[in-house]
Amino acid sequence: MLATLRDLLRYNVEFRIGLALVSVVLVMAGLSFVAPYPPGEVYVVPPDLPPSSVYWLGTTSRGQDVFWQLTFAIRNTLSFGIMVALLSRIIALMVGLLAGYSGGWVDRLLMSINDTFIIIPLFPILILFYFVLRDTMSTPLLATIMACLGWAYDARLIRSVALSLKTREFTQTSIFSGMKTREILAREHLPYVMPIVFSTTMNNMNWSIGIEVTLAVLGFTDINTPTIGGMIYWANQHTALVAGIWWWIAFPVGLVVMTFVGLFLLAVSMNEYIDPRSRLARMGGSR
Amino acid sequence: MKGSADQAPVLAVLDLQAHFRTRYFGVHREVRAVDGVNFDVRRNEIYGLAGESSSGKTTLVKTIAGLLKPPLEMVGGSARFSFLPEWDALGRAPQEVVRRIRWRHLSYIMQGSMNVLNPLRRIRYSFRDFAWRHLGGSKSEFDTRAADHLERVKLDPSVLAAYPHELSGGMRQRVTIALATICKPEFIIADEPTTALDVVVQKDVLGMIRTIQREIGSSMLFITHDMGVHAALTDRLGIMYAGRLVEDGDTADIFAEPLHPYTRHLIASLPRIGDVRQREGLEGTPPNLAAPPPGCRFHPRCPLAMPVCATTVPAMIETRPGHRVACHAVNPGAAA
Repeated sequence: MLATLRDLLRYNVEFRIGLALVSVVLVMAGLSFVAPYPPGEVYVVPPDLPPSSVYWLGTTSRGQDVFWQLTFAIRNTLSFGIMVALLSRIIALMVGLLAGYSGGWVDRLLMSINDTFIIIPLFPILILFYFVLRDTMSTPLLATIMACLGWAYDARLIRSVALSLKTREFTQTSIFSGMKTREILAREHLPYVMPIVFSTTMNNMNWSIGIEVTLAVLGFTDINTPTIGGMIYWANQHTALVAGIWWWIAFPVGLVVMTFVGLFLLAVSMNEYIDPRSRLARMGGSR
Repeated sequence: MKGSADQAPVLAVLDLQAHFRTRYFGVHREVRAVDGVNFDVRRNEIYGLAGESSSGKTTLVKTIAGLLKPPLEMVGGSARFSFLPEWDALGRAPQEVVRRIRWRHLSYIMQGSMNVLNPLRRIRYSFRDFAWRHLGGSKSEFDTRAADHLERVKLDPSVLAAYPHELSGGMRQRVTIALATICKPEFIIADEPTTALDVVVQKDVLGMIRTIQREIGSSMLFITHDMGVHAALTDRLGIMYAGRLVEDGDTADIFAEPLHPYTRHLIASLPRIGDVRQREGLEGTPPNLAAPPPGCRFHPRCPLAMPVCATTVPAMIETRPGHRVACHAVNPGAAA
């Protein structure tokens, strides 16, 4: 594992850039623990100050320091992304491995549910959830809903691998030696799909962060928890761009773009680690 | 050490029939891959099964081991193990019984057994996955036992910490043999375990299989199409053709005096040192088992074919002591 990381660092530019970007984002999120102001308070600093040596990224019209507000926002947004990714990975793994291994009616049933989730229009449903739940809507609840809507593509991917694993000799021998289905899936098949799971985790985080930002900008989430989308929402509420408070919008957007690009590059380089053919393509060997 | 004939057999196969049945779009197809096979495997012996590809060898042992998955169905007959007297075939016993019997009493070295080891798991974990539940005891006791057992196949205990790709083909093969024998099963099925190895490694591995089989005193059903391997390893030999057993007896007897014309061709095809004659091939191809020829299934290719061969199935007759053959030319007038 460490040797893999070292090789990726040494030979893979995407991995280097991705790691640097994600590190910056993580450091930002970590700084929230030493923030001088509580995240919910307003008018703790003079409003509308441009970036300076005192207020590094300026202050908002609500009297919040953009830098420290941003540390809370990115922490909440990241943990939201991780929550969605973890929960949806669990569902995707269980459905994908079980469907691929079992085959027959189990496979058909699970995959018809799976395909239903793939074609459901996501955005209207999330807005509907917001209007129904409104006051009870919180970050963990939204994360759970998103996870329940975001596992289907990856479950299909995992199933395709499980289909092939099912016919390998070691699976046959496992069955013959009396291992139960649960044991075969957890011990013999899970290690095979883990690299795919890692790679899709990053993309799933990107996807969920993107949706969360969209919903928050439109005000369809819990707007009192600081998130990247929530900051942009408040900036819009205070017509920050018209008022010339550009730093209130530019820095959250910049940070979330860094997160996207960083996670995407990590996913791409992870894919290279998984798939030797893309390594060959880099060397020009696939042509 | 040959098993004596008066001992009760460890495995008694009686008129076993296993067919592949498919029904698609109203078309019913039935491939009679194993059609009325009779033989015994005695205690402490290696029984060889020979025959060309698609003669039903693997289907036969899968049925015996109860590995019945659609479209394969056990249609009739029985395959009774001495350690499981209450059921007449493993495929008919309930799941719990099967789970208790397999690996502990009956183990199976699969075809392509080079790939039996999960490439992403260290050998230690493969041992634990397959055998620990059957042996019990603590984890460290089991690991010691696995290491001791690996020494029997002349492998260093450090192999336990290796991944399969770090081992050579011969080493991997020995690990699978160790895996299949660690529970000291009464019966081992080996389906072409050495086919993928070169002849030098093959010789080592065969010797090792022989030694371990004697040490733990188990019986073995050994399948390969390689007659040379049969001559070197097996005590008794059964020849399969198109889903039926056509001849069985002591390996030495069969090689010395093959009775069935198919067996004679099989043995005549073996090269001999100093012999430069071109070998004669057998005309034709094995029959389609979905529509096998009537009577003796070998008659369309048989040089000794008579009119009766095309109409009547020859019975398996003990022509000499311990040597049975199913052929009208050898046993005139014996219909099944």
